[in-house]
Amino acid sequence: MDAVLVQAIINGLLLGGVYAAYSAGFSLIFGVMGVVNLAHGELIMLGAFTSYWLFQFFNLDPYFSAPFAMVFLFSFGYLVQRFILNRVMGLPHIMSYILTFGLHLMVANIAIKIWTHDFRSITTSYSGANAAILGLNIPYARLITFVVALFVTWGLWFFLMKTETGRAIRATAQDKEVARLMGVDIRNIYAITFGLGAAITGLSGAVISPFVIISPEMGLEYTIIAFCVVVLGGMGYIPGALVGGLTLGVAQSLAATYLNAGVSVAITFIILFMMLVIRPTGILGKGNIA
Amino acid sequence: MNSKADRIILILFLLVSAGLFFVPGFVESEYVLRLITMVIFWVGIAGCWNIMSGYTGYIDFGPVVYFGIGSYVNAIAMTKYSLAFFPSLFLSGVLSAVVALIIGIPTLRLKGAYFAIATFAFAEAMKQITLEFDRTFKVSFFQGSDGITLPISGYDNAFFFYCILPVTFLVMLTHYFIEHSKFGYGLKAIKEAEIGAEISGVNTTAIKLRAYITSAFFLGLFGAIEAYWITYITPSEVFNVQKTVQMVIMTLLGGMGTFLGPIVGATFLTLLSESLGTRFVEYYLIMIGAIIIVAILIMPSGIIGTLKIRKRLRFI
Repeated sequence: MDAVLVQAIINGLLLGGVYAAYSAGFSLIFGVMGVVNLAHGELIMLGAFTSYWLFQFFNLDPYFSAPFAMVFLFSFGYLVQRFILNRVMGLPHIMSYILTFGLHLMVANIAIKIWTHDFRSITTSYSGANAAILGLNIPYARLITFVVALFVTWGLWFFLMKTETGRAIRATAQDKEVARLMGVDIRNIYAITFGLGAAITGLSGAVISPFVIISPEMGLEYTIIAFCVVVLGGMGYIPGALVGGLTLGVAQSLAATYLNAGVSVAITFIILFMMLVIRPTGILGKGNIA
Repeated sequence: MNSKADRIILILFLLVSAGLFFVPGFVESEYVLRLITMVIFWVGIAGCWNIMSGYTGYIDFGPVVYFGIGSYVNAIAMTKYSLAFFPSLFLSGVLSAVVALIIGIPTLRLKGAYFAIATFAFAEAMKQITLEFDRTFKVSFFQGSDGITLPISGYDNAFFFYCILPVTFLVMLTHYFIEHSKFGYGLKAIKEAEIGAEISGVNTTAIKLRAYITSAFFLGLFGAIEAYWITYITPSEVFNVQKTVQMVIMTLLGGMGTFLGPIVGATFLTLLSESLGTRFVEYYLIMIGAIIIVAILIMPSGIIGTLKIRKRLRFI
């Protein structure tokens, strides 16, 4: 195989890892509550800004600011679900889409008001540094993020499968009436789920911050990618985020290498559309259909 | 139900429409005329979304695609094939409807979030294709991000007022027809209980498709008119997701699946954005966000929907 192709695939996998990291939370929130969270990108933005400011003021490495981003976004997500989203849970799903869209507008525009439209970036000692192996370039920062992505997806899966709260979340997703009869506090579980989804999304925002452009308007783009990833992997199926992320990453990277970047965006949406029409349960066929 | 209230609303609607016909003769200020045209324009566009999504509950997140197709068909027909405006306008509507037929058949099988995301993906895909087509295939057809400049019409705002008014009128008349026909009962049945409707013998796929195509046809007309009005179009502008968002929010605010909903919602939001949007540019989007959240929390059925429930009124 020629080096260009291998490099394109490696870039794709690394990109895919990043996609997977910030889409797992989207999948979780959809799977449990049926909410298509249109403010998802704003959670990433808040995570990235958390790490940006910690880096600016305390010179804290972005990877070490991840726990702070998690705590901050867990609280944010918990409160949003508890006081706003829980009120529309019994209504048609459209209400939750529009509500999260309103949230997107508010959060993004308040952020613009506070932090202005400026593009920012975090320059660490390892920014732009590559490991050169067999003539291939592997950026360190992306590699670390890739590993974190694997870990996050696994960690979330472990939490859902092995802990008591995780069991309650899964029970609520399957049948909320029965879960309630078994003594699960549904409203609290919803809030915890949203908080959890927001926390891992914020964490991803923090770990991608060393190599992305940070601005208050960055969110929407990420929300759209999360759509694609989650549909490819199967909506509501957490490990699917990894499969979807890697597939999309490689597809985009190949299209960008052999065609051009604009076509790669077109291909993303064509894949998304075809996937929904032909196989809405995702590549692995394990997504849930509303 | 042909209640008395419905008939009063229809008569009022016809009177207002007839009255609006004389507006350009009386209004001297170009600004006011343009504002009134914008209100009517948005009532029509929000109405198109309401025909499909408001009545059936299938949330279409990509209606702007038919608006964009209308714009592009009109632009290409007029510049490349030197067609006159009115035949080209008709062609735009028809082609939008044809695309809706082709896309509607596979997508209307999807439900809930899946339908919403699929329609959104299709709209974004079309935007990217019109942006990248020429560069990828080395041709000059859509002209990508350079956009297309249409022939300058030489007509004033009044001309476009008279183009938009009849289309909006037809959209609202379609609403009235939906409210008082078997077709409309079918659409509402889909919203309430689709499986139940199927069991009762409603051909749900066929009537969803009919609603979808009708909505696409009118959106194509609006797209074509706007393209000719502003004379310069780019993919990012005509396929802008903000248009979809506006349609959804206007209808939702007014009341989904009601006759008066799009009228009330679009008028309110257009005037609001005109008064606040110019004076408080920086806070405008924050306020819109807050309005959406508060509106959904306190009156999820919209202004008209809530009135109907609270006052136990039965009208369209």
